[in-house]
Amino acid sequence: MITLTNLSKIFRTELIETHALRDINLQVNEGEFAALTGPSGSGKSTLLNILGTLENFDAGDYLLDGISVKGLSDAALSKLRNEKIGFIFQSFNLIKDFSIYDNIELPLRYRGLKASERKQRIEHALELVGLHARRDYLPGQLSGGQQQRVAIARAIAGQPRILLADEPTGNLDSLMARQVMELLEQINQQGCTILMVTHDPDQARRAGRHIQIIDGQLSDAVLYDPLAAQSA
Amino acid sequence: MEQFIYYLKVSFVSIKRAPLPYALTIFILSVGLGIFFANATFYYQLNSDPLPHKSSKLFFPMMLLAPYECTDCKPPAVLSYSNIEKLSQSDIPSAKTAMYSADGYLRKNAEQTPMPVNIRITQRDFFSMFDVPLLHGSVWPDNSARLEIILSKATAEKLFGRTDAVGEKLLLDDRHLTVTAVLDDWQMLPRLYDANNRNHLSPADDIYLPLETGYDMNYLSNTQSQTFDDTDYRKLSTQGRTGALNQLQYWVQLDTPTAQQAYKQFMANLAQDEKVAGRHPSEPNNQLVAMRNIVNYFGGESSDIKAFALVTLLFLLVCLFNASHLSLNRYLGNQYEFSLRRALGASRGQLQLQMLADVLLMAVFTIAGALLTGYAGIKLMNHLLPRNSLFSSWDLPLLLSLLAVAFICSYLVTLYPSLRASFGTLNQQLKE
Repeated sequence: MITLTNLSKIFRTELIETHALRDINLQVNEGEFAALTGPSGSGKSTLLNILGTLENFDAGDYLLDGISVKGLSDAALSKLRNEKIGFIFQSFNLIKDFSIYDNIELPLRYRGLKASERKQRIEHALELVGLHARRDYLPGQLSGGQQQRVAIARAIAGQPRILLADEPTGNLDSLMARQVMELLEQINQQGCTILMVTHDPDQARRAGRHIQIIDGQLSDAVLYDPLAAQSA
Repeated sequence: MEQFIYYLKVSFVSIKRAPLPYALTIFILSVGLGIFFANATFYYQLNSDPLPHKSSKLFFPMMLLAPYECTDCKPPAVLSYSNIEKLSQSDIPSAKTAMYSADGYLRKNAEQTPMPVNIRITQRDFFSMFDVPLLHGSVWPDNSARLEIILSKATAEKLFGRTDAVGEKLLLDDRHLTVTAVLDDWQMLPRLYDANNRNHLSPADDIYLPLETGYDMNYLSNTQSQTFDDTDYRKLSTQGRTGALNQLQYWVQLDTPTAQQAYKQFMANLAQDEKVAGRHPSEPNNQLVAMRNIVNYFGGESSDIKAFALVTLLFLLVCLFNASHLSLNRYLGNQYEFSLRRALGASRGQLQLQMLADVLLMAVFTIAGALLTGYAGIKLMNHLLPRNSLFSSWDLPLLLSLLAVAFICSYLVTLYPSLRASFGTLNQQLKE
């Protein structure tokens, strides 16, 4: 589903060049739940942003469903993001003066769906995250965990093929973090591929696959085996 | 449509988020545009062509036929009666009229208090040449003297309380005259047939009297008269037709370039004949000025309005710059939302549609503010420059142009900031 071949990313300033990612080769199959870990500044968020087409890369190739995203127009990239990718951000990124319903509706608006279909999808997503009763609330009236569940509802309402989560529990306490993880697992079980950046080893362990980045390169832990980890 | 209503809703939410900077942006734009509107109104009206379909065919002939030696002299702007007689001999023009204006007092009968009136003393072609509309009656059949007058609609209503006054008797400075026609509402703006001495800014005349009758009744010109010999200008009825008393403006209608060329040749021949006859010793200097250029020829352009135009244009630019700056701050404050929308699948095109909704809202508020400011500005200018007050009305083309300017300004104020906001680096803004 996702194929990265010799993918590199360099951040340039007037004085220095920083190789954020070097020769990344990675294959993610449909339905996988992969955790992306690594020290701060290792390039995991950069990789996630490239996978979400929020950022360009300098070399190599990125195939999504067999199609190279390199050279796609802004409109094509927007369509791809809208239809195939769902985002969950650490800081939720909800629009504070829009209701929960309106926030979840955002990606559906840009897909040009009819009002009735949008409503059906939003209600289904709200049911899934258990916030149906709070559809008219503003984000500020919800707890952090609830806001992240709204963000998850927004991400899944578009029925994406891939969910990209950048430290989705980073701002939550342990109880809320567990609830969010359970929700993500539930979504993954329904067939959605998930790539999640996390610093939490427990969460990484709960994912079916562990991808580790150090200094912009995939480390040996790419071949992380959950069974081996359990026996150890 | 539903999506555009959504864009409008998003715009409203964005305004509610920071109402003060938005109101300030609207205020600055409204003031800049309002003052520009006020000045543009005068500039447009003063420079408009009152007869666009025929102004290129109407000409003002002038000849240097003064009985004295003169080098580098411009021909006088007014001609003598005998000059007009000679010029009128040509049948090249399809219409021609001589005229001047005078003051008088008009009343229905001897018991009534006379009211002051401005009299246009002219010939029959005046009405057809300048498209003067008649409401009742008919124009004089020829240019001979007759004790008949034509009233403006306002004068008829003032005197009789009605417009149909044809056949009524009036006293003009205690001489009996019969009303032969009443004009419909008519105000040529600017009044280019009388551009000399900046009279093109004046309102239309109250009554119209045949030229020959005006001479017979010894009506002296109230604008400009020049005497080049010992003619007593006060004895117009006895000496005015023969002496070198110049007080007549003359207009001809020349329908084709060929006719214009032929008339120029006619004027040249006339000047030559006059010189040979010894009636003017100077070198011929003829002018045939098109109606469109007549104000410019007489140097009657409103320099105050021109100066205001420049100042208000510069002021508008300053306001645009300031409003753009405020708008940029507002958009950069919302950049996070732009990036979020893009991350969730909005294309730049869709964001530009959002921007169009922003422009539309801003244009509506700005237009309302600018029209109010413009109206107040016009009132103020009418107070400061009452001579220009006839030129302060808004017609449809002007109003549409002003609305277009307001929309373009709103677009400019929104365009750059929104482009800046929509071209940012997505991931960075989402993290901030």
